[in-house]
Amino acid sequence: MKSLQHPRRLSSAVALFGVCALLVTGCTRDTGTTGGGTEGGAAAASPGITDTTVSLGISSPLSGATAGPGTCSVAGLNSYLEAKNAAGGFAFGDGKTRQVTLTYLDDAYDPAKAVANFRQLVNQGMFAYVGALGTPTNAAVMPIANQQEVPQVLLMAGAGEFSADQAANPWTSGFVPTYSTEGAAFGKLLVDANQPITVATLAQNDDYGSGYLDGFTAAIEGSQVRVVDSATYEPTDTSVDGQVTQLAASGADVLLSAVSVTPLQVGVLTKAQSLGWKPRVFLPSNTSTPATVLQPGGAAAYPDVYTPAFAKTPASPAFANDPDVQEYTKAFEQYGTSITKTYTPHCAWSYAEGAVLGEAFATMEEPTRESFMTALRGISGFTAPLLLPGITIDTTKEDQAAVSSVNLVRYNGTGYEPVQGY
Amino acid sequence: MSYFVQLVVDGLATGSVYGALALAIVLVNRSTGMINFSQGALAVLSTFVAYAVVQAGAPLLLGLLVAVAFAVVLGAFVERVVVRRFEGGDANTAVVATIGLLVLVSGIAGAIWSYDPRPFPSLFPNATLGLGGVFVSVRSIGTTVVIVAVMVLLQLLFRFTKLGLAMRAVADNPSSAALSGLPVSRLLMIGWGIAAGLGAVAGVLVAPQLFISPTMLDFTLVYALAAAILGGLDSPLGAVVAGWFIGVVENLAGAYVDVIGNDLKIAVPFAAMIVILALRPQGLFGRRTVVRV
Repeated sequence: MKSLQHPRRLSSAVALFGVCALLVTGCTRDTGTTGGGTEGGAAAASPGITDTTVSLGISSPLSGATAGPGTCSVAGLNSYLEAKNAAGGFAFGDGKTRQVTLTYLDDAYDPAKAVANFRQLVNQGMFAYVGALGTPTNAAVMPIANQQEVPQVLLMAGAGEFSADQAANPWTSGFVPTYSTEGAAFGKLLVDANQPITVATLAQNDDYGSGYLDGFTAAIEGSQVRVVDSATYEPTDTSVDGQVTQLAASGADVLLSAVSVTPLQVGVLTKAQSLGWKPRVFLPSNTSTPATVLQPGGAAAYPDVYTPAFAKTPASPAFANDPDVQEYTKAFEQYGTSITKTYTPHCAWSYAEGAVLGEAFATMEEPTRESFMTALRGISGFTAPLLLPGITIDTTKEDQAAVSSVNLVRYNGTGYEPVQGY
Repeated sequence: MSYFVQLVVDGLATGSVYGALALAIVLVNRSTGMINFSQGALAVLSTFVAYAVVQAGAPLLLGLLVAVAFAVVLGAFVERVVVRRFEGGDANTAVVATIGLLVLVSGIAGAIWSYDPRPFPSLFPNATLGLGGVFVSVRSIGTTVVIVAVMVLLQLLFRFTKLGLAMRAVADNPSSAALSGLPVSRLLMIGWGIAAGLGAVAGVLVAPQLFISPTMLDFTLVYALAAAILGGLDSPLGAVVAGWFIGVVENLAGAYVDVIGNDLKIAVPFAAMIVILALRPQGLFGRRTVVRV
C-alpha cells in the first residue's frame, strides 16, 4: 500500500517546515535589531526618527502585472526625497534638519506580502509608511497600521475607504483623488451643460467601479442627466464586447467607462465605434494614456473623450518649459530611473507626494508619530509641485484624499487640453 | 433581432479566442495523453518572439513564422528536458510539473519584457463590416477562419496520416506503441512541438485584442481548458465548437436574463458544462474510452 510511506514523508515535511520557520524567525530578529535609534532629541521620540534622520518605508508592486505603476510610486517619491536630501535635507518644525531615508519592498500586489513587508519595515524601525500603491494591499495593512499606531499615509490608492472614516482609521490617509471624486467631477460637467443628456455606464464589478458610479450618481441627482443603461464586467474577463453591444443598443449620448484594465478599455473604444455608436466618452485617470489606450482604441473617432487630471504630464511638450517639470526631470533622471523603466502618471504623483511630506515635516513640532499625523492632517491650500493650476493639497477635509479635486481634460487627437464645458 | 445576432457574433468572436488555445491543449492531449497547463505561457513567450521581430522592423508575417519555428523548438525542448521525466509516472505529478512550467515561463517573459501590457499589431486590418445591422470586425473573421482551418488540418492529421495514427497510438498506449516499433520519444517531442507551434499562432491571433503581456493568456487558459474538456479532450472539432458555445451562451445569458446579468454570466456556460459532462463524460465530441476487462 502506498499510504505506508506517508508518515515518513509527513515527518520530513514537518521537519523541513520547522527548519524554515527557524530560519525565518532568526532572520527577522537579526534585522529587527538594526533598526531605529531613538537616542537624543525630545524625551519620547517615536521609532525611526533621530535628530538627523527619519526613515520612511513603502511596499508596492515592483514585479508582476502592476509593476509599472508600482515602481513609479517609489521612483517619483525617491526622486523628490533624495534631491531634497542632496540639497541639505528637510527642515522640521522642531527646528532640526533631517535626512530622509526610504526603504522600499516588493509585494507583487499580494495583500499577504504587503502585510509581511509592513511588519518587516516596522521591525526595522520605520517611522512612517508612505505612498504605497494598491487598494487590496493597503486594505490589508490598514487594520494593523491603526492597531500599532504607525502612520500609513498619502496612499497611492483611489478607493474611498482610505479617506472615508478618519475616526475609525486615524493613522491612514489617501493621496490621489478617490474614484468617487473623479466620477463626481464628470457628473458635474454634464449637469452644468443644463440640457437633457442620456448616459450609459460600464463599470468594473468592485470598489473601483462602484466608486465612480457612486460619485457620478450623487452628482447628477435631480438634474436632467439620466442613466439609461448600465453594465458591469469582471477584471478577469477577456472581452467586454458583449457589454458594449448591450450599451450601444441604448444609443446613449454619453458613455461612462469605468474600466481599469488597459486592453479592455481599448476594446471598449474599438467596439463602440465599430457598432456605429459614437457617444462622448469618459475615461478614468488610470486608463486614459494616449499612447497605450486612446491611439490603439481609435479614440479620435468620438466627438469628445474626457478624463480627470490633477498633475502635469512631464513628457508633454506643453510643459517642456515648466520649472516644476524641469526640476522633476532633473531629480528623476538621477534618483528615479534606476527604480522604474516605464513612465506612468504615478511617477509624477508620487513626486508631488514627496513635497506634501516635506510640508508636514515643516510643521511637525515633536519627533513623534502623533505630531506627524497632526501636521499631516493640517495642510490646506498647499501648492505641491507638478499639480495643475487650481489644484491644491487639502488634508483637512474629513472624507477626502489629500488631492480632493480634479480638472477634466479633453483629448484633442494627440494629447489633452483643458475642457471648456460639455 | 439584429441585437440578438450581434450578441451571437460577439460571442463567436470571443469563443474563437478560447478555441484557439483549446486546440493546442487538445493536440498535446491527443499526442501525449497529458494536459499541459503551461500551454498558454509557452504561447505567450513565442508571441513575444514575434513581437521582438516586429519591433526590429520586420513584417508581422515574418514575426509569426519565426515565432512558430521558435515555439516548435521550445515545445520539443521542454518535452525532452522537463516533461519526459514525468511521463509514464503519476499523471497528477506531470500536471503539477506543467503548472510549475507555467509559472517559470511567465516569469522568464516578465523578466525580459516586463509586465506592462503592450499593443500588438494584427495580421488583419482594423476594419468593420456591417451586414444588415450586424457589425463584425475583420479581425474576428480572420481569427475564426484561421482557427477553423487549423482545426480541419488537425482532424486530417490525426485521421488520415501515418504520423497522426502513430501519435494517437503513443498517447493511447506508449508501451504497446514502442513494442510495435514506433519511435515513442521522438513522437512525443513532435507532439509537443506542433502543439507549441499552434499555441504561437493562437497567441499572435489574440494578442492584438488582449495586448501582449506575460499574463495575457492566464484567464483565457481557464476558458480554453473548459472548452477542451467540454468538447472532448481528444477532439479538435469539439474544442472549437465548445469555445464558441461558451462565448455565445455567456453573452446571451448576460444580456437576456436579468437575474444573471453581467456578473453571473460566465457561470452559465460552466453550469451547462457540468450538466453536459454528467450526461456525456467524454465531452460533446470526445470518444468514449472502452476498457476490456
